[in-house]
This record gives sequence, C-alpha cells and structure tokens, in this order.
Amino acid sequence: MSLPGIFHDLLYGIGVAASPTNLFVAVVGLLLGTAIGVLPGLGGTNGIALLLPLTFRLQPTSAIILLSSVYWGAIFGGAITSILFNIPGEPWSVATTFDGHPLAKQGKPGIALTAAFTSSFIGALISIVLFTFFAPPLAEIALKFGPPENFAVLLLAFATIAGLEGGDPLKSVLMTLLGLLLGTVGFDIVSGSPRMTFGVVALQSGINFIVIAIGLFGLGEILLTVEEGLRLEGVQARLSFRDVWETWKLFPRYVWTIVRGTVLGFWIGVLPGTGATPASFMSYGLAKQFSPRGHRFGTGEVEGVVAPETAAHAAGIGALLPMITLGIPGSPTAAVMLAGFFIWGLNPGPLLFREQREFVWGLIGSMYLANVIGVLIVLTMVPAFAAINRIPFGVLAPLIVILSSVGAYAANNQVLDLWIMLASGLAGYLFKKLGYPLAPLVVALVLGDMTEQALRQSLIMGQGSPAIFLHRPIALAFMAAALALGALPAMRALRRQARGRRGAAARPAPAPRG
Amino acid sequence: MMALGLVASALLLVREALRLPIAWTSAGPGPGFFPFWLAVGVTGVAALILARTWRAGRRHDEPFVPAGAWKPLAIVFLPMVAVVALIHYLGIYLGGALYLAGYMRLVGRHRWMQVAVVSIALPLGLFLIFERWFLMPMPKGLALEWLLYGR
Repeated sequence: MSLPGIFHDLLYGIGVAASPTNLFVAVVGLLLGTAIGVLPGLGGTNGIALLLPLTFRLQPTSAIILLSSVYWGAIFGGAITSILFNIPGEPWSVATTFDGHPLAKQGKPGIALTAAFTSSFIGALISIVLFTFFAPPLAEIALKFGPPENFAVLLLAFATIAGLEGGDPLKSVLMTLLGLLLGTVGFDIVSGSPRMTFGVVALQSGINFIVIAIGLFGLGEILLTVEEGLRLEGVQARLSFRDVWETWKLFPRYVWTIVRGTVLGFWIGVLPGTGATPASFMSYGLAKQFSPRGHRFGTGEVEGVVAPETAAHAAGIGALLPMITLGIPGSPTAAVMLAGFFIWGLNPGPLLFREQREFVWGLIGSMYLANVIGVLIVLTMVPAFAAINRIPFGVLAPLIVILSSVGAYAANNQVLDLWIMLASGLAGYLFKKLGYPLAPLVVALVLGDMTEQALRQSLIMGQGSPAIFLHRPIALAFMAAALALGALPAMRALRRQARGRRGAAARPAPAPRG
Repeated sequence: MMALGLVASALLLVREALRLPIAWTSAGPGPGFFPFWLAVGVTGVAALILARTWRAGRRHDEPFVPAGAWKPLAIVFLPMVAVVALIHYLGIYLGGALYLAGYMRLVGRHRWMQVAVVSIALPLGLFLIFERWFLMPMPKGLALEWLLYGR
C-alpha cells in the first residue's frame, strides 16, 4: 500500500474512533481495564473473556475498541499494584516489581508510577506507528515461522530471563526448569493423557500460573514483610506534578532502553504465541546487561521500570498485528479477542483490510486515541489508588489474602487451587530467603506449554533429530543469541567467583527481591 | 547462607526423587519426554548446587528465621491456613468476613466499630463485583448457597 494511502486510511480510522460512541466505549474500556489490571488474579485475558458476552449488542468496531481499550487499561493498571504492593496485577508486570517496588519503598512511588505509565505510553505510541506503517512486511516474515523458529525464540526468552536476576545462574536455571516442569502438569497437549498429576484428578486441568504467581508473589511477600517487622504499608503514593515533571526530566537518558524495549517488545508481540510477558522480561534483562547502571538494577532504578513497561505495552500492540492481518493471535489476550471476531460475524484474515475498512482502521485509530486518554486517566487516577495505601496492616494483610484467594479461585473455579496458592506462598517465602529467583519459575510456567509444543513439533518435523534447528537459519540465529545471552551472566559469575576467592569472600550480593 | 542452600538442595532432591519415576514410567517417546528431561535437568542442577554448597562447607552463621520473627510469622501464616479451610465450609464471603473481623480485632486491635464496618462492607463489595457484575461464581459455602438460592 502506498504511503499516502496509509495516511488517508489512518485519518479515516481516527475519525471513526473519535465518534462519540466509540470514544465513550474506549473510556469505559480503559477504566474497566485499569481496574482489572489492579486486581491481582483478574487478568487482561480473563477480563476480556468475561466482557466478551457484553459486546454482543455492540457494532463490531465499537466492540473491538472496547476490548482493546480494556487491554491497554490492564497494561497500564498492572503496574500500579506491582509498584505499590509488589503484587503484579498482571503477568507482564512481574518485571516491573523488580525495581518499581524498591523505588516505592524508598519513598518514590510517584516517580516509579510516572515512569511506568510514561514509558508504557511511549512504547505504545511508537509501536502504533510501527503497526500502522510496517504491518504487511512484518507479518509476512513472522508468517514464515515454523515450530523450530518458535522454539528458538522461546529459548531466547528463557536465556534472557535466567540471566536477569544477577544472582546465582545455577539457581536461575533450576527455577526455569522447575517452572517448565510445573507447566507439564495436567493433560498432555498432544496425546491427551494426564501427566505429573500424582493421581489427583483436580490436577488434570493443570496448574494455573495465576495461582502460583499469586502465592509466590502475594502471600510470600506478606510473610517476608512480617518477618522483617510487622508493617507492609510504608509506601505512600502521592503523584504530584513535581513527581511527574522530575521523572519526565529523567527520560532523555533512557532513550536507548526505550527504543530497545519498544522494538524488542513489538517484534516479540508480533510473533505468534508470545506476548507482553516474555517481552517485558527480555527487555528488563537486556537493559540490565547493557545499561551503565545495570549493576544497580533490582535496587530501585527508574530504568528498571522503564525497560519492562515499554516492552510490555509495545508487545501488547504488536500482538494485535498478526491477529488483524493474518488471523493468528500474537498473545493469549489477542486469542480471546479473536474469538470475538466470530461472534461479531467477521472472518479474521488478510481480507479484513480490504473488506472491513471501518473495523480495521477504526481499531488502529482508536489505538492512538485510547492510549493518549489512557495515560491521562492513570496519571490522574493514582491518588484514588493511593487511598489503598493508607489502610493499616491489620486490615491490609487479610485484605490481600482474601483478594488473592478470590483471584486464585477465579482462575479455575476449584478450591484445591487455594491450597496450591497457600503452598506456593510458603515456597515463595523459602525461595526468596534462599536467594532463588522467582521470576524464571513463573515465566517458564506460563510459557511451558508453548515451549513443549514447539519443541515436539520441531522434532517431528526433523524426524526425531534435533539437527532441524541447525538447518533453519532464522532458528539458528535465535539459538545463537540465546546461547550468548545465557552464557554471559554465567561467565560473569565465574569471573566474580575467581576474583572473590582471592579477595574478600563475603561480598554481600544484592538481595534479589521479587 | 551456606546452610540455607543446603536445606534447599535437600528439599529439592526429595522432590526430584518423587518426580523422577513418575516421568520415567509415562515416558515412551511421547508425553513423558519433555517432563522427563526437565526432571533430569532439575536433578542435575540441584545436585550441582548441593555439591557446591558441600564443598564450601557447612556454616551456620545465621538462623534461618530471625529469633524474634517466629511469632509474627505464625500470627500471619496460621490465619492464612485457617481462612483457606474456612472458605471450604463457609465460602469466600462469610469466611472472608470472619477472617477480616478476627484479624482486625485480634491482631490489628481496631475498634469494634471499624471491625464491623470493614468486615461487612468488603465482602459485600466483592460479592457485588464478582457475583453480580462479572457473573463469576465464587465459593459460597452451604449456608450462603441456601440463603441466596434455596439450595
């Protein structure tokens, strides 16, 4: 398509999105989405699935604008609880806790929140521009990806995650493997036979990562906080204009982190099956390795908030690209939205661009508008969320436990999950005390099925020989990158150990939190 | 620190011991393949960590839980267990209300008025959000089921 043609269509799309109905729908979606993002356990995917029946009565264009606005809202909102409570409201905001929560604890929640919202917004905006202009060629490349390429990409994701905590690489690897192993619990995706269930019927549906994440991060954190002294409240959240201004002045420094996070996030988002979650982790990991302040990551670096947030939102946008152009969901959330297409009587695929001009360009136009409105909403609404923080611990602790239980139960509607949550809460406490990073476990659990499927399909393609990965140049390149990134922290650790043996042995490692 | 690593490794090894045969029996070329190699990997890495810890020698330089922390830990953790058990019987709304009230009164030492307001308003709010607006059924327990739906 010619460039003037794209501009023409874009203007038309913005016009569609700016109609009073669609604008109203976008604002409602953003508010709902932010609330969903704040509530742990009620995720974007979850929330969109629940709202899907409500869109029956809407025009397809308004319906997709509503759902996508919920998605943007959830991406913005997920950062709020991550930063204030160290409870990721969404899986993609797990990486935001690493530096966001320490910042909040240091009395700078305003800066952390502004940084999260702003970088999320910038990542979104750049991605939308990318989305608008590079849609057709990018989608074509991603379309050529087969299982070997997908597996290589996932491997790359794991390599960056394992290298990310900066702690003990062996422990990171262990946690990644454990997470993958937990992911295999339940019905086997290919043969349908139950696995790793120890004969427990309720385990056949698998272990939901939400349950584990809530336990590990939510309950585990409460226990740790209690041990350190009985107060969790600490974090005051006032978002003054000065905070916003101060944070914005920092942003020019993070240009490279933002560009890297956006491009990476967008690309990861475009790849089928992967979404905002691995993108946020990879961006954090890369920023940690390449930033001059990387060694301070995890202690409350603004850049450590910027990196995952940019990538998460960029990936969220990118995930819609294959959905709208090819009918392949780029993320679980996009998959749920795609389910809506059929409900609205649309046939997903490349033909949409030609036959449903209003729908496609209305969605693209609304991305621009909704993200501008969204960042304004979250920036002004933080004081409302700040109220949560004035709650004393005697109320807050049971409140978090109850909300966690609700979230864990909602994931699968089974009471057994509450016990699993409790157990992972205890495990999270122990793991943290012993310096085992939690993030690799959760991410591996989320991506486990995808990884196994990609690996098995690749092996079938290669007739049982792993050499298939060597014969596919794109897969090979990703594998090499994964190997390099995975080896980097290990080598660093070895060098540190060698040096440590000569010098003072007890150099306190930065305590990996969250 | 080292002692802590040792404890963890021991724990992990026990778990692997439980997991390995499971993956092995279901192995075949198909469904067991992925979990089996993962379990092998986990065992290997845990053994490495254990070996490293072993070589570094055992040093008990700090207790696992700081001396004064046992009591507050128990005060938070035991009610957690209790509330999950309560949810089994009373559901999340009644159980949650009782838990909130008990915790606020006994641990937080809030005034009765506050206790009553919070422990009634909060579960009610949750009830409206989940049962009415999102139409997500939460565990309600027998008593509430009967009250609401006559079942």
